[in-house]
Amino acid sequence: MTSGILPSEFAALEPFAHWALSTETARNHHRYESTVADIEAFVDAMLARFDEIVARLNEFPLDAMPPQWQRLYWMLLSVAEVAPAVEFYHRPDVPDGYDTHRFVADEDFPLRPRM
Amino acid sequence: MDATANNGGGQLSRMRDRFPELGSGVLPVEPYISPAYFELEKRHIFKRVWQHVGRESEIPNPGDFFVVDLPASDASLIVVRGHDGVIRALHNVCSHRLNKVVYESRGSVRRLNCKFHGWSYDLTGRLVGVPDEKYFSGLDREQCGMTPASADLWQGFIFVNVDPHPAMSLNDFLRPVYADLEGYPFEKMTNCYRWRTVVNCNWKLALDAFQETYHVRYVHGRSIADALRSDEEGSMLPIDCLCGDVHRRLSMAGNPKTVYGNPKAATTVDKSTAQAGTQRVGKIASAALRAGRGATKLSFNPADLPPGINWRKDPDWVFDINVFFPDFYVSTRPNYYQAYNFRPIAHNRTLFDARVYYPEMKNAGGRFYQEYMKCVLRDVLLEDLGTLEQIQAGCETGPKTHMILHDYEVMVRHNAHVVERLIREGEARAQVGLS
Repeated sequence: MTSGILPSEFAALEPFAHWALSTETARNHHRYESTVADIEAFVDAMLARFDEIVARLNEFPLDAMPPQWQRLYWMLLSVAEVAPAVEFYHRPDVPDGYDTHRFVADEDFPLRPRM
Repeated sequence: MDATANNGGGQLSRMRDRFPELGSGVLPVEPYISPAYFELEKRHIFKRVWQHVGRESEIPNPGDFFVVDLPASDASLIVVRGHDGVIRALHNVCSHRLNKVVYESRGSVRRLNCKFHGWSYDLTGRLVGVPDEKYFSGLDREQCGMTPASADLWQGFIFVNVDPHPAMSLNDFLRPVYADLEGYPFEKMTNCYRWRTVVNCNWKLALDAFQETYHVRYVHGRSIADALRSDEEGSMLPIDCLCGDVHRRLSMAGNPKTVYGNPKAATTVDKSTAQAGTQRVGKIASAALRAGRGATKLSFNPADLPPGINWRKDPDWVFDINVFFPDFYVSTRPNYYQAYNFRPIAHNRTLFDARVYYPEMKNAGGRFYQEYMKCVLRDVLLEDLGTLEQIQAGCETGPKTHMILHDYEVMVRHNAHVVERLIREGEARAQVGLS
């Protein structure tokens, strides 16, 4: 049984739907609140079906995605968000880095893509 | 081009020989920690020079505006597009009792209306409405407009100068060093991401962290250090450096086997990158390259880039750093660019306003590639920012009076040199009673 949060063909990814966050700020903060194990499990699940996810999402215009597909798209962006944690740092944060909460994304900037 | 420069991709000549006027000694710490020195910088630099504040595409329609605070110029300006399409800068101060005219940081208006007593100005700053006007004696509206600053455009960037009659036009200020950058497709990079933070350090110290590559092996050792070309000893020397009268440029070579060191990634179908990917590139990076391939709405032909890009024509070129004096940094790559301001607030406080501009993407796969590039960049910036407050503390605690510079930290030296020279010239002018 699926809850319909995600498109039915990707229902198996629903345990990771907490990564379906609409802003960079939310995705970034969620990364910092997660463990490496959480992050890697999420990335492994998404990469296992990565090409399929991208091919299906590419069928929709960026500004007109049905809600279930939009959630899957946000999950895809969360993979990009956690990429440095997985590929560079092997921990959620940036070692010796500046406090990410002080480096504030301007989510309302007029030239920022809406999606 | 300087005949003593890089002889055809070989060894660069030493910077101390190229720019002997900059010297090769140690750099005093005092200018990074002294409130008195900051006051001199305000008076002789920030109240006189052109400063970048944004892109004209941020305010495309008449009435669109944003407010920019320039503490080192003692100014808060409204940057607004008029009904004639012209962008102007007005001090955000009402002529009546000097309240702020607009409270919002950004918006769109038909007129600029003060919320204190309802004085109203048109988009050029002319006073057009005064409630109870008959109760003022001898009010001349023409003399009571908002106070203008100077505003002008270069390649779609908005620059302002709080001096209403600048000593130098914007073109005369920029073109001696940047004329050959004109024609770079700035206007085609329409997807912009922006972050801001107030860092407790001097503005020069913040800028300095971005105008040398000596730190890359260490500060970025976990992330993107391998994206730059190293010589056999592991040194990441630039391709070339140019120091102008006030501006300066650095050209960098990349490692084409990395996502970050390969400017062709995602703009062309490049099998060698894909194969290199299996060896050098992480699994998410590989996925990003696959998803992004061909997904931009632009096709870039390096041959169309202006001559000032990769001016040494190095085959491994990856990006150029362009520092527009005093505090604007633009890193130009073939497929995107970064634009940072290091805006002084006090002698030990700086607003870091960072933007990266990419082309629009056709689809979700392209946006994933862009998000990957953006998140890596943001985290690399966190690596850079991580040192700044520690360095400021190191300067202020006082065990050292000087810092020591590598030959290729020449841009750090050049900035300090230019600031010192302009202060000296300004003080000399003040001595003889000029401005």
